[in-house]
Amino acid sequence: MDIKEQEFSRMVRENKSTIYTVCYMFSNDEDEVSDLFQETLINLWKGFESFRHESKLSTWIYRVAMNTCISADRKKRRQGSKVPLSMNINLYDDEDHETKQVRQLHERIQRLDLIDRALVMMWLEGMSYDEIAEVVGISIKNVGVKLVRIKEKLKQK
Amino acid sequence: MNFEEMRNQITLLKEKLDRQEIVNDHLLRETMRTGVSAINKNKLWVYVCVVLCLVIYPLLYVSGTFSNAFVIATCLMMLLCFVGTYYIHRPVDRMNLMTEDLVTVARVMAKFRRQYDQWMYYVTPSLLIPWLSWAVYEFAWKNAPDGMNHWQIALPMLVGAGIGMLIGYFMHRNTVNAARKIIDQIEEKENN
Repeated sequence: MDIKEQEFSRMVRENKSTIYTVCYMFSNDEDEVSDLFQETLINLWKGFESFRHESKLSTWIYRVAMNTCISADRKKRRQGSKVPLSMNINLYDDEDHETKQVRQLHERIQRLDLIDRALVMMWLEGMSYDEIAEVVGISIKNVGVKLVRIKEKLKQK
Repeated sequence: MNFEEMRNQITLLKEKLDRQEIVNDHLLRETMRTGVSAINKNKLWVYVCVVLCLVIYPLLYVSGTFSNAFVIATCLMMLLCFVGTYYIHRPVDRMNLMTEDLVTVARVMAKFRRQYDQWMYYVTPSLLIPWLSWAVYEFAWKNAPDGMNHWQIALPMLVGAGIGMLIGYFMHRNTVNAARKIIDQIEEKENN
């Protein structure tokens, strides 16, 4: 592996949970998560060289992961070779208390539309309004307004 | 359910995922390999389409079986399909998932699917039906082998085309429904 590949591998390993979380919240089953995860890695790799550090690395990763999940064609399963992820848990089937909690979160977030889902996820992860606005493409003021509305929406459901 | 509880749940999820390997060496190698080949593959398809358009005309012309008008019309139709597909795909190909914001990406995707929808429902039938009628005439009447009933050739052609259209329609319908959902969401965002 050359230096660029090593750096990419390190970045992916350090942010694997973030990438997986985004893919999980936009998916309905294990296979879909796996497809989106691999698609996101490919897009990150394509853009890795040209990433200029004008925004934070975590913001960039969020942007690429969410864009991939929003624009992915769910009907078209990944072409080419598909590599299984190295995991010994299944967030859709496991029945332990922690997984049930996680699934409850997944179910609630899934009820929201795509952009609202992205907004609420970034907020839950503790990102600032500036960063959320940059990723979503709306004003900072609008982020606040939308989060209040989402809160209301979640309470009603 | 409040946001604080959801925050705890997302922390729980991250902790769970941190304990997993998830990304293995094989996956990384495959990612870096596919990332490069995907770009080349797209270019290759463009070249294949162009070469096909350039090769079909002389081949059909040399065979001398079909009328010149039909051969020219077939080539023109293929070129038109190629240009139309390229035009519809261009914004998506140019879109940079690494730098665009979510609303822009969603809007481009929705526009792409809407145009694709219009192409499928209006342009494709208006090209395909006259061409198919002409093709049936050329194959089953004008160039039918001696003594063979015209409908023996025409019927399988028409049935095949009908089945193809039905499969295409059902495959496309689900994509269109998904696109409508995204369009509704964006319009809702813009109106708010």
